[in-house]
Amino acid sequence: MHQNMVEVRDLSKTFKRSNGEMLDAVKNVSFDIRQGEIFSLLGPNGAGKTTTISMISGLLTPTHGDATIGGHSITRQPLEAKKLLGVVPQEIALYPTLSARQNLEFFGKMYGLSGAALSKRADEVLEFIDLKDRQHDKIESFSGGMKRRVNIGVGLLHQPRLIYMDEPTVGIDPQSRRRILDTVKQMQTEMGMTVLYTSHLMEEVQEISDRVGIIDHGELIAVGTVGDLIQKVGEEDRLILKVGSQVVSELLLTRFRHEVEGVTGATHEQAHSNGSDGSATQPDGLIIVIARRGRRALPDLIRVANDSGLDIVSVEVREPDLEAVFLHLTGRELRD
Amino acid sequence: MQKILAIIWKELYITYTDRNLLVIMLATPLALALIISLAFSDLLSGSSDIPISNIPVAIVNRDQGVEMNGAAFNNGQTFINVLVPPANADEQTLADNALYQLTDAVVLSSVTEARAGVNNGTYAAAIIIPADFSERITYSQEHPTVEPASVEVYANPGASVSASIIHSIASSISNQIATGNIAIAATINALIERAQSDPAFGVQFGLISAAGGFQPDFAPAFSGETGAVAIERQTVEGRQVSFNPLVTFGSGQAVFFMLFTAMASANSLLEERRNWTLQRLIASPTPRYMVLLSKFVATFVTCVVQVLLLLVALTIIGSLLSGEFQIIWGTNILAILATVLVTALASAGLGVFVTSVVKTPEQGNVVGSLTAMAMGMIGGVFFSTQGIPVLGTLSRLTIIYWGVDAFGKLSVNRSDIEPNLIFLLLFGLVFFMAGWFIFNRRLNV
Ligand SMILES: Nc1ncnc2c1ncn2[C@@H]1O[C@H](COP(=O)(O)OP(=O)(O)O)[C@@H](O)[C@H]1O
Ligand SMILES: [Mg+2]
Repeated sequence: MHQNMVEVRDLSKTFKRSNGEMLDAVKNVSFDIRQGEIFSLLGPNGAGKTTTISMISGLLTPTHGDATIGGHSITRQPLEAKKLLGVVPQEIALYPTLSARQNLEFFGKMYGLSGAALSKRADEVLEFIDLKDRQHDKIESFSGGMKRRVNIGVGLLHQPRLIYMDEPTVGIDPQSRRRILDTVKQMQTEMGMTVLYTSHLMEEVQEISDRVGIIDHGELIAVGTVGDLIQKVGEEDRLILKVGSQVVSELLLTRFRHEVEGVTGATHEQAHSNGSDGSATQPDGLIIVIARRGRRALPDLIRVANDSGLDIVSVEVREPDLEAVFLHLTGRELRD
Repeated sequence: MQKILAIIWKELYITYTDRNLLVIMLATPLALALIISLAFSDLLSGSSDIPISNIPVAIVNRDQGVEMNGAAFNNGQTFINVLVPPANADEQTLADNALYQLTDAVVLSSVTEARAGVNNGTYAAAIIIPADFSERITYSQEHPTVEPASVEVYANPGASVSASIIHSIASSISNQIATGNIAIAATINALIERAQSDPAFGVQFGLISAAGGFQPDFAPAFSGETGAVAIERQTVEGRQVSFNPLVTFGSGQAVFFMLFTAMASANSLLEERRNWTLQRLIASPTPRYMVLLSKFVATFVTCVVQVLLLLVALTIIGSLLSGEFQIIWGTNILAILATVLVTALASAGLGVFVTSVVKTPEQGNVVGSLTAMAMGMIGGVFFSTQGIPVLGTLSRLTIIYWGVDAFGKLSVNRSDIEPNLIFLLLFGLVFFMAGWFIFNRRLNV
């Protein structure tokens, strides 16, 4: 028995864009997913998560590299590999004019289920996603959250030991999101499944994952448990100081770094947000300060700022999280 | 195999529960068939076994004629010869000639009078032959080029179906004269030569010519080719066949609509790629070829169903119009089925091909419809393209031409449809394979 459910080695994908340019969507990505864990790929939109999942589910041929699922190469033994795998695409990959049950049964047949076994599995899955009473309604009549649940249900139908879930919480209300996150946990604890989960939302990744891979611009820039990754940035807090449209001098940032105890980094960022009248955009400056024991550093920071004539509009202290890790590794915020 | 069946079943289920698609597929052509039948029924007269008969036509022949080998030729006269029965014709001749039954032609000398007659509804159409008609189309030493000639068909818009039939007949006759003239000239030359070398034949030929009984037999020039509306005369065995415009018109429409259905059905492949159900299928342990093949087969089945339904509907209409049950498609059921199958195969293949070369379902809709329209236009659904220089040749590349041609032949119990079957079969296979190849490559990017 393989200890690693999935092994990804040197996986690359280069797309030829319509304008003729080449785009390296995934660059030399390698990682393992261990039996029974929830492994997440965290990265902003366009980072290459879907492209990676597509390659390791046999939808796209890698430009370079390979992956094995339960020891079967996805490029050389695709059918064996695919049997072990359930997929939940980022899109609602369902036939809108078929009912929930018809969708389940159709895709079940594609995984070789039939007859009474198929019917029984459809019942169980409908029970699990809590849509038994709506099973005969067409998908097009469902809410976003319900569609997402059926989308997941189809991936569970053939009782795979491994499931890929590509941003399964996109575009739904917080309540439905909660429900789906619980479902993912349940799949691991009650069904003993291995899960590859992708998201651009660090909160949910941080909550459910055993291990996380951070992906940006097609590169896997860090892999480890949430604890490991946070360790990387040290036990550091992030202080976010809103300064509006005021000019922030490089000198001030240097002073923060040198004069305030515990500060290891300070950067200035310009974000734009809509003005109160809703039309004009006003510059919305942020100073992001990385500091050990940030709360203690706060009074000194404010003092230095006042010294330089800078008004701090508001202050937010963030404990170290994956957002901080991403910032630390890339110099950018995860959500742009 | 079970998977293929499951995919095909899913396709058909979705198709037949989708009201819009069903409308495109069945209701539109059926409504069209109804309109055809209404249009045709007002022309119905008496108990004739041809659904349309006695279309009133005026012919004005202004053709000056040409002189060749010392003999005068007036090709405009051919229209009169073909459409107007000789004064001494007996009943049998009248009954045997489909064109005599179909039209009720009179010869007028004045263009103005003919136009006025069309305007006030006396005639469904007037065929007006220009003065230089023979000159343009006759090939001779002095005049070595054959130029396109135009015959005006002045039509009454209120009788559009009969007018379009007359239009087809006129263009058919003129095209046949144009293509047949060289052959006729050669035939006459051969006759004269033979008369010179064979005294007995020479005497006989001379007697007939002298008596004015010699009429060049144009029959060979009219046989074989079928235009948008076939003008069938007699079969080789000399059996009488009735000309049925429902066959050519109806089968043209049926194949034409089937093209749209094929395009729409194949296009769902792109829709499935957009909403990721295709990717879900490919991520399942189902070989790719099964997915594509099932789509193709489902498109094919849908096409077959549609054409069969239309053929049945047109049969019913034909029977209602003629007052008795008749299978207007001929009696060779197997050959008819084979024609239906290969026509559907060709359409499904083309549909898959179009799907493979466009990027989005929207593009697929546009390109698919344009392809179907272009094919209909070139293939002669709207007007006969036979004999028109480039279009006539291009029409040989269309599903419509070969399909309609096969249905036309079968309806008069001709069985020489092998070229049609082979062309359509190859057409379908080649386009499907090409589409498959391209689509597979595109899926991989
Ligand atoms: N078929 C394709 N052709 C060209 N570029 C593509 C294609 N699919 C994805 N991309 C590009 O590859 C990059 C990664 O995309 P994707 O894997 O979808 O990111 P994510 O899922 O992390 O949001 C993006 O820049 C995207 O525009
Ligand atoms: Mg994605």
